Amino acid sequence: MLVEADLVEELKDSKTQSRAFKVLVNTYKQRLYWHIRRIVLNHDDADDVLQNTFIKVFRNIDGFKGDSKLYSWMYRIATNESLSFLKQKSKKQGISNEELQNQTLATLEADVYFEGDEIQLKLQKAIATLPEKQKLIFNMKYFDDLKYEEISEILETTVGGLKASYHLATMKIEAFLKED
Amino acid sequence: MKKLPKNNPFKTPESYFENFMGNLSDKLSPEKPNLPEEDGFAVPENYFDGVHQGILDKLEKKEVKVVQLPPYSRYFVAAASVAAILMVIFGMNWNMEKEVTYDDLAASDIENYFETNEFDLSAYEIAEVIPLDALEINDILTTSFEEEQVLDYLDENIEDFETFNFEDNE
Repeated sequence: MLVEADLVEELKDSKTQSRAFKVLVNTYKQRLYWHIRRIVLNHDDADDVLQNTFIKVFRNIDGFKGDSKLYSWMYRIATNESLSFLKQKSKKQGISNEELQNQTLATLEADVYFEGDEIQLKLQKAIATLPEKQKLIFNMKYFDDLKYEEISEILETTVGGLKASYHLATMKIEAFLKED
Repeated sequence: MKKLPKNNPFKTPESYFENFMGNLSDKLSPEKPNLPEEDGFAVPENYFDGVHQGILDKLEKKEVKVVQLPPYSRYFVAAASVAAILMVIFGMNWNMEKEVTYDDLAASDIENYFETNEFDLSAYEIAEVIPLDALEINDILTTSFEEEQVLDYLDENIEDFETFNFEDNE
């Protein structure tokens, strides 16, 4: 069983860092990947951001004080890296974030790494209509199956606020899916 | 009637009001929403097996970052080098017998030389080489004055105009 405090100590020690980093990556890669993927939508972009996330964790591990759980800290880095990535991508293309999102959604059906049916495609379009934070909360609660307390630590929002946000998000999505 | 205390003796659990909306939302939709369980996203085969190595490769690349010039800039550098060489060749005077004299220099070149270089020459040294009648007031002054400004200055600062001896110097 992985003991987080021990792993952090090993990551900070140059003698054990390499081995500990491998353990860290192999333990959290899938969870972080899917979290990132649901934000950036595209596999190649998700792969890029996932690597950048782990590199950032590796380079900043000495600054991790243990105020929050390691996973929450990594999740937060992954979220920020994903959002920054999208901002940079839209800026490079000279379009807004919303236009970039619409562009990506428009090509989702033809994407080799999207195997969803019509309703799953519509679900992604519905999620895209949500405000940024609400989108994150919905994905983290519904798909990542995180507890509200964990989401609260990651997004630094109260549990009550998260529950309200999630409820609103699901209502909007259900309404969108019912539309023709 | 005795004045009754107005303070509220009742208390609530910690963060009750902060969590109120959330608890209410839970009651409004207690079950999982009627939505697809999967999001439809897929990954290349064996993708996760290569994640760790991919990160190590990228870490290595970032640490040995070499700034590469864009390929087309090499052509600019080559073209600039050729142009510089040609300028030197054409700028050189191959006729070694020709002597350079002051007549070869345009008047504008001489003026430009004096304007751009500082000379520690006194007024007397200048007067020795330039005759007085060849000098214009504007050769010395960098700011031109309106006639009115000159008259105003004289009026305010000079008490006795006799000192200028205008009649003799006209």
